[in-house]
Amino acid sequence: MVGLPGRGMHLGIDPLSALFLCLLAPQVVAAAVAVERKSVTFWVFVLGMVLALVAADSFALILGFELMSAASWLLVLRGDRRPDGRPPATLYAGVALFSAACLIPAVFLPAGGIAFVLLLLGAGAKAGLAPLHSWLPRAHPAPSAGVSAVMSGGMVSVALYVIIRYAFIVFGNAAEPWWGTVLMAVGAASVLIGALRCLLEVELKTVLACSTVEHMGLIAVGLGVALRARAMDDPALASLALQAALLCAVAHALFKPLLFLGAGAVHHATGTTSLDWLGGLMRCMPRLGVLMLVGAAGMAALPLGPGFAPEFLLLHAVIAAAGSGGVMAWIGFAALFGILGLSAALALAAGVRVIGFGFLGRPRSLHAAAAEEADRLTLIGMGILAVCCVLVALTPGLLLRAMAPVISEAVPGALPQALAYAPLPLALLMAVLAAVAFVALRRFGARGEREVPAWNGGFGKPPVWLPFGDPATQPIASGFAEPVRRVLGPALLGRAGLDPGERYILAPLSRLHLRLTRLAELVRRATIRQRLAFVFGALVMFLLALGLGQNG
Amino acid sequence: MMGLQIFTNSLAHFLAGVLLLCAFALLSQRRLAAMITLVQAEALVLSAAAFWQGLVQGSDGLFLTGIITLCIKGFLLPIALRRITRQFNLIRAVETVMPVGLSMIIGVGLIGIAVMVVLPGSAGTVTLTHEDLAIALSVVLLGLLVMTTRRNALSQVIGFLSTENGLVLAAIGMPGMPFVVELSVALLVLLALLVVGVFVFQLREHFETLDLSGIEAIERRGR
Repeated sequence: MVGLPGRGMHLGIDPLSALFLCLLAPQVVAAAVAVERKSVTFWVFVLGMVLALVAADSFALILGFELMSAASWLLVLRGDRRPDGRPPATLYAGVALFSAACLIPAVFLPAGGIAFVLLLLGAGAKAGLAPLHSWLPRAHPAPSAGVSAVMSGGMVSVALYVIIRYAFIVFGNAAEPWWGTVLMAVGAASVLIGALRCLLEVELKTVLACSTVEHMGLIAVGLGVALRARAMDDPALASLALQAALLCAVAHALFKPLLFLGAGAVHHATGTTSLDWLGGLMRCMPRLGVLMLVGAAGMAALPLGPGFAPEFLLLHAVIAAAGSGGVMAWIGFAALFGILGLSAALALAAGVRVIGFGFLGRPRSLHAAAAEEADRLTLIGMGILAVCCVLVALTPGLLLRAMAPVISEAVPGALPQALAYAPLPLALLMAVLAAVAFVALRRFGARGEREVPAWNGGFGKPPVWLPFGDPATQPIASGFAEPVRRVLGPALLGRAGLDPGERYILAPLSRLHLRLTRLAELVRRATIRQRLAFVFGALVMFLLALGLGQNG
Repeated sequence: MMGLQIFTNSLAHFLAGVLLLCAFALLSQRRLAAMITLVQAEALVLSAAAFWQGLVQGSDGLFLTGIITLCIKGFLLPIALRRITRQFNLIRAVETVMPVGLSMIIGVGLIGIAVMVVLPGSAGTVTLTHEDLAIALSVVLLGLLVMTTRRNALSQVIGFLSTENGLVLAAIGMPGMPFVVELSVALLVLLALLVVGVFVFQLREHFETLDLSGIEAIERRGR
């Protein structure tokens, strides 16, 4: 028995932890099948996550959470390739320590505003919510593909679980509307910055990590709306928003590991994940390409994909919440709606960019041209996730009905809302229409053949010395993102194009660190006399304070 | 009887005041020879104070304290220090870190702090031991100030001795102070002198000077 002295460790499973365990299972299985069967650290990492999910007391939860942090730090350290010369493992350790320093007091404090803010700082830093998100696009791509997949799909989900567990269930009765507002603001900022960077980054794994920030933001917005509605005694709205958030968490935990495993396979096959050097992979790696297409459909929130239903519900919830306060609520929720719409468009562009520049077109480098299909185990692992993705995409209604106990656990008196979106009949209808069109075309279409010039597929006009076209004349991924960078970059990223999280948090911290180091160096280099003078000065100060305290 | 009591206390205070004056004069001296003389004078006054207290309190331990102080700090240490200064030709002026006037102003401030700490705000409850303690604390602080404001290793030793004198003054002013403490303090001073002596010889061997500023420059460059 491990636990507080004299009290054992309590484990237990309720609907909420069962949901997150279900969500953890497919990605762990897929990552294990694909890459990480033998790594002990990986299994310790998984054990930590499971422990955090099944914990029934705060101590066990913290133990699991920190075990997860420590193991994932080891994994980041091991895979740390430092593409830009900065050590993400050190940054990651710093974030993990900060998170622990906020979370440990938060879970042991009495329910209230301070505990909630600490909880949000601690678990939010781990989940990659703005403004503490800038470590995530650096650290998540660093380890190997399987670990990246579980970090980006599972670890952030565990952090969300902690937020839901404490904000809704443990602190639930002390909740105030401003808690939800804070969560929504944090979520909206993450959504915006995540979606924008997701479109601008060039490395495939970094793109996926930025998309993680965006989806965490979406979930946080959903949770924020739910928390606010719960504190304002509106169980119908609260359950609608919570449904959106949980469905989004489920979808994200399926398609993000899928995409990360695919990115790892691409890296293995071509030696790079830079979208500017890929292209034409659909021809060499057709199965991987199809699997990635399923994942990218989820990431882009396309209809009939896994990511659409949660966004649809979330927008419904935001519209419904707009009428729940004064004029400020109208303005705020209208702005939130605009941000969500903008980020949905950016996410769509990012999804198109991943597939269009990574897998379509013609190879932009010899490595990409010579890529071979990923190995069978990776394909099997990704296949498991893709099947789950399709199931979730086609039957969100069933999933929501299965989630009803979770909703009523988190929101007392919940009224689960029916989903006004039925993808399965829609898909069937489209299949029937396609079949009818196909048959009609075969039956009544024109016969015979006709030669037309091929569409040049986005290529520029080839130079005269390369009559068949040069792959380098294709537009590249950074060029595709350039219009968006011109329009939104200066406003959101500043002139240097740096993430605000780095510019306003990491850079000042780094300057502070430099200053403290200089101070420490000054103390270390002090001569005997200076040290004596320092001790003497401290003594005199102490005596002075003592004297003033006595007489004052 | 009452008159004898007043006389006893005023003599004790007079000796303590002379000690404080010596400690204060230590701050103003630039020359090592004069500093050694002042420390010797401090030790003589201290031993006189110890004998007087021993007589008044009727305690043999205090006589022993006075004898030890007289022998070690009144004669042995000054003779050793003078030998060192002669050996290294250090009779010339010592270099101070801050101007003498400034260090004396700071010294006055330190005495003020010591008085403020030890004497309670309400004047009615002032006892005579308190005043003794205030003077002793002032001497300790002034000795520390000497240690921090001088560059020369020997003058730091002298500042240390002055600090130690302040501690002993506090000890003999308190009736019933155990003698063991005094003995250990004296031994400690001897030990410090030994260490510093070795240190000084080493310095002399390596740098041909006792001025610590050369070492400080090396420390700054080297580390």
